[in-house]
Amino acid sequence: MSYAYLFKYIIIGDTGVGKSCLLLQFTDKRFQPVHDLTIGVEFGARMITIDNKPIKLQIWDTAGQESFRSITRSYYRGAAGALLVYDITRRETFNHLASWLEDARQHANANMTVMLIGNKCDLSHRRAVSYEEGEQFAKEHGLVFMEASAKTAQNVEEAFIKTAGTIYKKIQDGVFDVSNESYGIKVGYAVPNTSGGGAGSSSQGGGCCS
Amino acid sequence: MRGEEAAAAEARCPRSPELHDLSDDSDYAAAAAASSNHTVMRSDLADKGSVETARVDVVYEKEGVTIHPMQYGSGRISGILRLYLQQGSLFLSWEPNEEVDSFSTSSVTMEIEKYRNLYTVKGLPLSDVRFIRKHSPAFNIGVEYIIIVLSSGLAYPPFYFYNSGLRELFASLKKHVFIIRSDDDPNVFLVNDFQDPLQKSLSSLELPGVASVANAMSRQNSFSFTGSVDEARHVTPSSMTEYVSKQKHKSNDPGRDLSIQVLEKFSLVTKFARDTTSSLFRENHNIGARTYGRQQQKHVLDNRANDKYTDHPITPDKGSLPSDSIESDNLPLVWGKQRDNPLSVEEWSNFLDPEGRVMDSKALRKKVFYGGVDHVLRKEVWKFLLGYHEYDSTYAEREYLAVVKRAEYEAIKSQWKSISPTQAKRFTKFRERKGLIDKDVVRTDRSVPYYEGDDNQNVVVLRDILLTYSFYNFDLGYCQGMSDFLAPILYVMEDEPESFWCFTILMERLGANFNRDQSGMHAQLLALSKLVELLDPPLHNYFRQNDCLNYFFCFRWVLIQFKREFSFDQIMLLWEVLWTHYLSEHFHLYLCIAILKRYRSRIIGEQMDFDTLLKFINELSGQINLDRALQDAEALCSVAGDNGAACIPPGTPPSMPIETDGGLYVQEDEVL
Ligand SMILES: Nc1nc2c(ncn2[C@@H]2O[C@H](COP(=O)(O)OP(=O)(O)OP(=O)(O)O)[C@@H](O)[C@H]2O)c(=O)[nH]1
Ligand SMILES: [Mg+2]
Repeated sequence: MSYAYLFKYIIIGDTGVGKSCLLLQFTDKRFQPVHDLTIGVEFGARMITIDNKPIKLQIWDTAGQESFRSITRSYYRGAAGALLVYDITRRETFNHLASWLEDARQHANANMTVMLIGNKCDLSHRRAVSYEEGEQFAKEHGLVFMEASAKTAQNVEEAFIKTAGTIYKKIQDGVFDVSNESYGIKVGYAVPNTSGGGAGSSSQGGGCCS
Repeated sequence: MRGEEAAAAEARCPRSPELHDLSDDSDYAAAAAASSNHTVMRSDLADKGSVETARVDVVYEKEGVTIHPMQYGSGRISGILRLYLQQGSLFLSWEPNEEVDSFSTSSVTMEIEKYRNLYTVKGLPLSDVRFIRKHSPAFNIGVEYIIIVLSSGLAYPPFYFYNSGLRELFASLKKHVFIIRSDDDPNVFLVNDFQDPLQKSLSSLELPGVASVANAMSRQNSFSFTGSVDEARHVTPSSMTEYVSKQKHKSNDPGRDLSIQVLEKFSLVTKFARDTTSSLFRENHNIGARTYGRQQQKHVLDNRANDKYTDHPITPDKGSLPSDSIESDNLPLVWGKQRDNPLSVEEWSNFLDPEGRVMDSKALRKKVFYGGVDHVLRKEVWKFLLGYHEYDSTYAEREYLAVVKRAEYEAIKSQWKSISPTQAKRFTKFRERKGLIDKDVVRTDRSVPYYEGDDNQNVVVLRDILLTYSFYNFDLGYCQGMSDFLAPILYVMEDEPESFWCFTILMERLGANFNRDQSGMHAQLLALSKLVELLDPPLHNYFRQNDCLNYFFCFRWVLIQFKREFSFDQIMLLWEVLWTHYLSEHFHLYLCIAILKRYRSRIIGEQMDFDTLLKFINELSGQINLDRALQDAEALCSVAGDNGAACIPPGTPPSMPIETDGGLYVQEDEVL
């Protein structure tokens, strides 16, 4: 399918917070509690529309375990957006947010849009982190914040699309030089996977990779 | 003498971890002292083959700079580290001494001798260096060392400075290249320009003890075929010069010439394989012997034996192969032997003597290597392949072992079973491990019927084994990926203690994959990179040009030995083939290359960058033709022979690590 822009997203956060479930809910609209833990990285993609323009999100679902960090850091490069996820029922996943942000600050480009997500909000009876704390953290670090549930799908769509909206706005405001792919944005091309020379934002070219 | 100067400088300004600035005067003092000792190397070092009169100015030279090549052993190779200027650029070299250090034991010495050349660093241009990480031991006890990390992400093994001299090294560096201390880590020194903010950020990439087994990866470091090893040792300075001229005259690149040799060898082999097909029993040993030596001849003889045996033509004609749309690169470089049928019940019984000993373990391993094992036999045969049972053990001995080991397992298991909730409250490490394992076993192979459904008892057994293992090997503990290894083992063994012991033995070899500092993984990825350079130079060049030399895109393949790339059934076959260690302990690396080679025309044709390549490789999962990949890997492994083996430093997993008093699993970087 053709697209006007392609945005690279990464999903980061501690192991078990529900990153893969969020991705699956967003791309396939289903919750599958039994699936494999992530080793390295997994990929997903979906088309969305913003401002009447088809935009393809290419999503990198990374492994959360600490010992994979030196590998997963190499995936940050050129991401336009990041979903930073914690689990509202496990305090430690919230406590680790600062170190994830630090990683992102070091290894991603400075203009990356980061969305903070408190996942598993369907389990609010087991809540260990209040909504306000999440909101406060986001505010302090200049992030957009939402609580969501990969299980009930609450706010999942919104989280991904709102992030895309923010990125799109940055493009409109000229924050990015879209011909520079290190910002994690590709302009739609006629020929799959050819890099170099922006073909303008005309989206009619034959689309790109799966 | 330089050393005294440095000591004096040292005294004036004692090392302090808070010191974030390099521009203290003592550095300059040291540098000045060093520069007064400049040596001019000329044709004595610059070798006979080189016409260039390029002047080589040595600006730093230190003896006793040592590599510890064994992953956990005591072997050392001491050598000379030099910095020299040539045509305005700074280069670094490290040459091993002729003699292995005396404190190495003789068996280790032999091993090291074999690999000495691998570690030699010929002229490495400093422009290829991303950063240098300095490790100074706490309280000045122990030896300082540095790790050099290249722009490609690869790291050299640590260089230990037994005769000090680190300070002068940095001082000299600072005189000739732009070098600054990283904001993030005072021990990291960034080299060259920092126009690219990304480069700066990447500098804090953790690569601690990483490359203790790593090869010296110098780009122009050619692979010496056995015959040329000695030559290679003595022509170091010439390759320094050649490297410079290479920029201008590609054809002067010794590596490239070698590549051509390799390609020629390949094409001869291919041709040879074809000839063999067309005239199956015609006498053409000579060709084989002449073009490619004993290995090939043996390979061909094997083919023949196999051919008689299975009644198949040696070489599959292309039409009969399942055409696989994804595998667009059908370049049949060399043909491996046709895959065999799995070891059958009848064949197995023929391998055993009346008391149950395996009479010819080599033949057994060969049989399994080429065909795998019938599923009903796996439970029995895997225990031999993994090394849980000795091949020459009897039925009675094995029965006895089972009883002993069962009791032993229960004893270890009771260590965590007896932890009360109150105790657990004060045992954070236990709670964390248990929590992680609990979370992961429910995310392991749940689509396999054996592990399917809610409250599946087998999932509980997985959990218990992993938790028990994390007590048995407390230093390594539990890491993600282990459950991937355990699930097929438990499925086959259907027995908790036996699965535990089989898993434990597998982890003896593969535990290093899970080292916190990733040393086991880095060692394998480095070896892989060397092997690709040997076996597919164009692909190697492509990866080099596209910043893919860190081979991170093969991370999952290597970490869990292709577990996520094949179906559950296929993985059992693949693993038993790997466990035979028949052609190589590192056959999985050849498998990586076989697969990469299959897709190389797509990778290169579509000009995949790192991201695209990573995604492409990920999505090959479930698409790879296993039999064909095994066949290709076998051919590559045979062709590479000793030269391939020489690319893989000793101690690289799944080779057995060498035990030291310090424990097997170094989980923390103990050096400040
Ligand atoms: N109740 C509830 N459970 C969830 C939700 N999201 C995920 N889970 C559960 O949390 C567990 C972990 O989810 P994953 O998506 O695998 O976690 P991850 O962040 O991808 O973990 P790693 O791949 O190890 O980094 C799964 O077993 C899911 O069943 C949610 O929104 N609500
Ligand atoms: Mg995941």
